[in-house]
Amino acid sequence: MLAMTLKEFRQVVRDHRTLAMLIVMPVVLLLVFGYAASFDVDVIPTAVVGPGATNVPEQLPELFDVETADADATRANAEEMLRAGEVNLAVVTGDGPPVVLLDGSELFMARAAVQILAAAPIPGLDYVVLFNPELDTSAVLVPGLAGLIIVFVGTLVTSMSVVRERETGTLEQLAVMPFRPRDVFMGKIAPYFLIASIDIVIVLTIGTLLFDVPLNGSVLPLIVGALAFLFVALGVGVLISSVSENQAQAIQLALMTALPQIMLSGIIFPLSSMAPAVRWIGYLLPLTYFNQVAKGVMLRGAGLGDLLMPLALLVALGAVIFTLAVTRFRSQLRPARVRAAT
Amino acid sequence: MRVVAVTALSKRFGEVRAVDDLTFEVGQGEIVGLLGANGAGKTTTMRMVLGLLAPTSGRALIEGEPVGRVDRRRLGYVPQGLGLYRELTVAENLRFSAEAFGTAPPDLAAEGLSEYANRKVGELPRGVTRRVAFVAARLHDPGVLILDEPTSGVGPLGRARLWESIHLVAETGTAVLVSTHHMEEAEECDRVVLMAQGRRVATGNVSEVISGLRTVAVVAGVTTARLDEIRRLGGTVLLSNDGWRVVGLPLSVVSEVVGSGTEVPATFEEAFVALSA
Amino acid sequence: MSWGLSRVTVRFGDATALAGVSIDVEPGEVAIVVGADGAGKTTLCRTLVGLEGIDGGEIRRPDRTGFQPETSGVWNDLTVMENLEFVAGAYGLATDPARRRIETLLEVTGLGGARDRLGRQLSGGMRQKLGVAMAVLSDPELLVLDEPTTGLDPVSRLELWSFISLTAGEGKAILVTTTYTDEARRGNSVLALDGGRSLASGSVAEVIDAMPGALFESARSHGPSSWRRGRTWRIWSPEAEPVPGATEVSPDLADVVTVAALAAEARR
Repeated sequence: MLAMTLKEFRQVVRDHRTLAMLIVMPVVLLLVFGYAASFDVDVIPTAVVGPGATNVPEQLPELFDVETADADATRANAEEMLRAGEVNLAVVTGDGPPVVLLDGSELFMARAAVQILAAAPIPGLDYVVLFNPELDTSAVLVPGLAGLIIVFVGTLVTSMSVVRERETGTLEQLAVMPFRPRDVFMGKIAPYFLIASIDIVIVLTIGTLLFDVPLNGSVLPLIVGALAFLFVALGVGVLISSVSENQAQAIQLALMTALPQIMLSGIIFPLSSMAPAVRWIGYLLPLTYFNQVAKGVMLRGAGLGDLLMPLALLVALGAVIFTLAVTRFRSQLRPARVRAAT
Repeated sequence: MRVVAVTALSKRFGEVRAVDDLTFEVGQGEIVGLLGANGAGKTTTMRMVLGLLAPTSGRALIEGEPVGRVDRRRLGYVPQGLGLYRELTVAENLRFSAEAFGTAPPDLAAEGLSEYANRKVGELPRGVTRRVAFVAARLHDPGVLILDEPTSGVGPLGRARLWESIHLVAETGTAVLVSTHHMEEAEECDRVVLMAQGRRVATGNVSEVISGLRTVAVVAGVTTARLDEIRRLGGTVLLSNDGWRVVGLPLSVVSEVVGSGTEVPATFEEAFVALSA
Repeated sequence: MSWGLSRVTVRFGDATALAGVSIDVEPGEVAIVVGADGAGKTTLCRTLVGLEGIDGGEIRRPDRTGFQPETSGVWNDLTVMENLEFVAGAYGLATDPARRRIETLLEVTGLGGARDRLGRQLSGGMRQKLGVAMAVLSDPELLVLDEPTTGLDPVSRLELWSFISLTAGEGKAILVTTTYTDEARRGNSVLALDGGRSLASGSVAEVIDAMPGALFESARSHGPSSWRRGRTWRIWSPEAEPVPGATEVSPDLADVVTVAALAAEARR
């Protein structure tokens, strides 16, 4: 047994990659997630509308960070802003007592607001929770969860697609056939795309039925978002596949891309609560934007126009992944040509 | 025009020179064999000729064009692992290749493969899958056929049959580049390129390679001490049916140490040893 | 007392890897198993050392066997010395005798100068020699080597065979498998395997003598029992009838194995 232990020790010490993972990874992960994990709400972007727009803001608790004060805007305008996610709280002033509109799809902000208002009630101020009146956790979690599951499974499955070809030697054959690198990329994604699309529908349907998640908006923006999101998730998988030497490595990398998405995409810990140094990682993750789109459509009934930004970003991410993967393929399938070009 | 022209081709992986200043050509209808042990650089060379690996220096041209720009349809390749999809059937594999190259799928009956058409490649014996890979590589009538150790692990009958097929393909005008580590297969090639440690140590047909090289045959009954002495002097000692043969030392030197010996023409294997020393 | 297999059959599900195969390996002698990939050489080796169960027949195996698998058996990220020390430790060999034995083996194989080199940095020939040394280190009575010479250059092959002969000279029984028919003459006995079945067995001379019919050489093929050999064709005549335009030649082992394979094919 001693001989065995000694041998293993020697092998591990020589395996620099695994050693780096064992020592460096836990430290990095702790730092990143430590700064990310926070339910504390520091600011709630707020809008004040109606005739009281000028003097109401100073009366509001500090937590309500007034970004817009528009005397000419109406309650309908305020609801629009909330639906589009521009602000998460609106104070509607008018003839009667002011009404506070809360965005129920931002659970922690809504709860923080309710707490503050209950603790130090402003006389005559009433509040209404829009979009998730019960402040139900599942309603807020399920859309994001669905996305997480899809990204996890989708990336994992496609991450092995190219590696398998390399291991069986068929990648070389593809390289000597008249295929263009983008043919190979799209061909590899296509079947998974179809299956995963059906998957998303199933997962979201079950989610809405079992967990009482509403579907308040039109399905179109959701579909657009889901398709763009899928393209990115599967594309990342293929990209991982093209840089992995074997299936074990591919799975490792796929898992490593899944972990940050749980913690940093805003599905559990709100992005606004994260330290800025860590928050930017969240802005690079496709799940962050799918979460915004899914919650926006399902809970807030947001339309295409409201969700233009996250949708555009998803499409942009897709384009970046596509370019990276195709470039990577080109250097693998036609290295001699790449050389000649330089 | 030479179909395949390799000039001063080199490939370095860090400190290791996998291929070192290699030059050779393959003409239309010619069978050229890359001969050498594992690690001599045969597979690396082939991958550079196919454009799968970029050389560190030197160049490879196919039909006068740099390999990166060659129309893939001019190439046919059977790698060591055969390059077939194990979960797909023979028919599906061949159809995929045919479609990729834009030709009609081959006639399975004519190739003697109809009984295996709907069997998965992963379930068939090596001999059959080798033939399938061979068909897949030439169904688009390539100008160049590159075969990486097609006879590795094949018994004598299988090897003979494979070489028959290779000769038939060459007769249609295809240039064939084959690699092997069986010395006796040098006879099957029009020309051989002997490789050792990435370098070309000889080229030509079998008689040209052997030409003039002599070995000293020594009858059995020589002590180990004497053999060690021969080795110290720089000779290589090989076993033969009836004694020892010494490569690399002249008769006079050998006789002095051992007391006897006759000069005989070298075998191909002995020539290889002498040239790669 | 010879080691080996007696009419052993090994099945994996529906496939029969070995069918009624017998082989004897005498102490102090080298038995050679020749066959193509998939013929059953590796299964035979693994069965003989006890890594595979059998579905019929008997195995005669000593307590101490040494085995070198097809993949050389060397650990790539350990040095030559560490590889040998590991084997010594695994077998619980006493330190001093083990160290002496390791030194002797390093000298005999010529690996002394490479003792601190990592397994993956060794040339093919050196790696194979190390693998054999590791199999022999524990002083087994039966040594089984699976394709130690495949893919090696002629000089390394010769050095490996010298090492094997030396080890046989120490009284060990050795079984070596190979795909090169010309290596069969290095052994005391040969077994030709094809598809799990024995095509021929005995000493090389016996096997060649036992070939049925006669062998001819011609510039052209003649019927289904012809095959290319270099620039000419070999033609087998099962009934020893002369073939027009061909000259009779004496067969070597490769010819005999080919004939046996042809005959087996005809029977199927």
